[in-house]
Amino acid sequence: MAKPAVKTTDITFSYEGSEKLAVDKARLELEEGSYVALLGANGSGKSTLAKLIDVLEVQDDGTIEVFGIDTKDEDRFWDIRRNTACVFQNPDNQIVGTTVEEDVAFGPENIGVPNPELRERVDKALRYVGLYDRRESSAAKLSGGQKQKLAIAGVLAMAPKLLLLDEATAMLDPVSRDEFLLLIEKLVREKGITVLTITHDMTEASRTDKVYVMDKGMIALEGEPRDILNDVPRMLEAGLDSPIYSKLIWELKNVTGKSYKHEDCTSIISALRYMSDNFFGVKIKAPKREEISKETLVNIKNLSYRYEDNGRFALKDIDLQIHKGELLAIVGRSGCGKTTLVTHLNGIIRPQGDGDVEFRYGDEVLSTTRKKDIKKIRQKVGLVFQYPEYQLFEETVYKDIAYGPKMMGITGDELDKAVREAAKKVGLADEVLDQSPFELSGGQQRRVAMAGVIAMEPEVLVLDEPAAGLDPKGRRSMFETISKLKEKGTTIVLVTHYMDEAYEHADRICTMKDGMIMGVKTPVEMFENKEEVRDMEIRSPYLRRYLEIVAIKLGLDSVSKKNLLMAQSVREAALLIGGKDA
Amino acid sequence: MLKDISIGRYYQGDSVLHSLDPRFKTILFIAYMVAIFMLESPIAIGLLVVFMIILQILGKIPPKVMWNTAKPMIPILLMIFILNTLTIHDGEELFKWKKILITTGGLRSACLMSMRLLMMILITSIILTLTTTPLKLSEALEKLLGPLKVIRFPVHEMAMMMSIALRFIPTLVDETDKIMKAQVSRGANYDTGSFISRIKGYVTVLIPLFVSSFRRADELATAMDARCYNGGEGRTKLNPLHITGKDVVMFIVLLIGAASLVAVEKVLPLISL
Repeated sequence: MAKPAVKTTDITFSYEGSEKLAVDKARLELEEGSYVALLGANGSGKSTLAKLIDVLEVQDDGTIEVFGIDTKDEDRFWDIRRNTACVFQNPDNQIVGTTVEEDVAFGPENIGVPNPELRERVDKALRYVGLYDRRESSAAKLSGGQKQKLAIAGVLAMAPKLLLLDEATAMLDPVSRDEFLLLIEKLVREKGITVLTITHDMTEASRTDKVYVMDKGMIALEGEPRDILNDVPRMLEAGLDSPIYSKLIWELKNVTGKSYKHEDCTSIISALRYMSDNFFGVKIKAPKREEISKETLVNIKNLSYRYEDNGRFALKDIDLQIHKGELLAIVGRSGCGKTTLVTHLNGIIRPQGDGDVEFRYGDEVLSTTRKKDIKKIRQKVGLVFQYPEYQLFEETVYKDIAYGPKMMGITGDELDKAVREAAKKVGLADEVLDQSPFELSGGQQRRVAMAGVIAMEPEVLVLDEPAAGLDPKGRRSMFETISKLKEKGTTIVLVTHYMDEAYEHADRICTMKDGMIMGVKTPVEMFENKEEVRDMEIRSPYLRRYLEIVAIKLGLDSVSKKNLLMAQSVREAALLIGGKDA
Repeated sequence: MLKDISIGRYYQGDSVLHSLDPRFKTILFIAYMVAIFMLESPIAIGLLVVFMIILQILGKIPPKVMWNTAKPMIPILLMIFILNTLTIHDGEELFKWKKILITTGGLRSACLMSMRLLMMILITSIILTLTTTPLKLSEALEKLLGPLKVIRFPVHEMAMMMSIALRFIPTLVDETDKIMKAQVSRGANYDTGSFISRIKGYVTVLIPLFVSSFRRADELATAMDARCYNGGEGRTKLNPLHITGKDVVMFIVLLIGAASLVAVEKVLPLISL
């Protein structure tokens, strides 16, 4: 057995001025050269534990040894720091240098690496992550994915033995996330660096050697990923998620009334074996689908948008109808124009040239090309941007939610009613209303920000990555909220990177690439043609890809296979396979 | 909305101006600033403008970028112009209507003051922010102010603070843009309405901006800690400053330029007498 890189006794820690234990008798051991994931819901103490390892905080009780050095040993504390590097969640808040190479050099400069070794280290690190050609670029101009690679280059230049990743992939799109993970895996393999990654991404966790799950400051579970992640009920309880294959079996057992043992499906292979043992050759009925209206509410006509400075098209010839009461998902790679498109919907950006965005309002047709219509449109089309919690400003939650409707001219009892109803719709308790929004947790703050838009009673609600940065439980409850809003008749436009969520919740999906619309179809139709999907630079939902394998393993006839592939959620797939009405 | 503003942004390039020693650039900048405020004759100011244009060309900075730098200052420039025109009453009377009096002296001073301010902004951008990265600039300051360490002035800390402030300007400009869009979606109005209501409108931007700046500061401090930052002691530099031939040439050019300015301002009027 290899030497431990980090070894602790039971660690306890609470932040100053807080009685709650942030870390409550947690114990962990990382083997040198291993790749370990630390999972847990928001606020479970994961980040704090990482900070204790890098001596950014010091524990109240217990000892931590990093490469055999006690973190409380003040004489050797710099030895730990030098050998331990961190990458944090927000790329913008960890870049110190203005140019790429200045930033990479920051760490080694601090520990006094002399030239020419310094120059060598910087160049080598930049080549390793593939940013050497951009070494003199302004760091602020890099994309999110590149900024995180820059952070990794900064780490490499320090030549550390231990790397702590604190939700380093949370703000990246799926493509950048994959690239980042491959880079990390390469580091573990080629450089023998020990990596501890804190993440909400279960796919990321499934690729590690060992998993720790934290719950309320304690280590709730530890073991190999296949044993931990496939324990569906336990993972749900900890606010986390499991792979598709084990979730499907769990749902199937719920449907058929059998009890779930995660030993049945510790891998895709054993999961598929269970499926074919129990459900080979079943006949699958088509799921029922409700008709959705085709009544156009928002009509986008001939919309193009060019940047003033470089003349590049952000949007090109967009024609799109948003139907009343539907949930329309807009998907596509970062920079494909999704956000620019939705920013047109309420006239924050006005159409250029002969483009138009029309909104049907009773018998009237409002247009964002007409200045006098803008105010009405802003009320009818609510826009919730990414990370909306960063726009809160009032003293109390109540006042913040009331700001929008007040600006729209609503007063008195009507205003009070609007605020309270909006708070209820997003699941905020009454007592929260009098608190300062800045005292709430991130997830709560996001709900306040959403309520601030919903209080204007918009007919169309545009949500740009509403679940970004939330833990799996937070994501689930966010989508429950969205479904409820939709049930009450709000039309929803959802911008997202998460194909499985779009697949499960959308009535139609609109795919964009390079500022153009590649197709608007129902989720099931969108992914039918594999070549088309590849051309659109999106990827099929995990669920659909898995169900295709399941269909083969179960030896389904063509009708049954077609019906099974109509399932848009794990639950629905389980109901279809289990022979119950979906 | 705010994205076009160039103040404080670094303009990536490989020009002579970019590669000059930042210490030299800082001295050049101070000399130029002094000149702006010492000189009054139109010819001297004209020479300063020519010199500025030469620097701009040396720095390969496109006019568009210069325009973006100057654009946000136009309201202030106009205000200074109008205030000067209306309040200074030297020289001959040009125009009088009720209490409004415009004189040649007033116009002269209005032109001079707004010109000075405009040049100040442009030269700061050309010599410093657009062509020098904040880290280099802070390094130059640290070196130039080095002697002050003797009296325990925290030179390194000041320089570091300045470079971080500059580094975060573009990030915060982007953030302001995002927040404004979000508040406009909620019915905020920054362009119309009374003065008071507009000020109130800006509160909806400033508070979130402050809150996020504090959060950023906190996270950045942790990140710097994690990267072993421990003050200026024992730090090395990736690109240490050293004086090159280019710096010497530029220094000589500068000396000649300065001499000619003095000549224009002081000697020329004497000759014409």
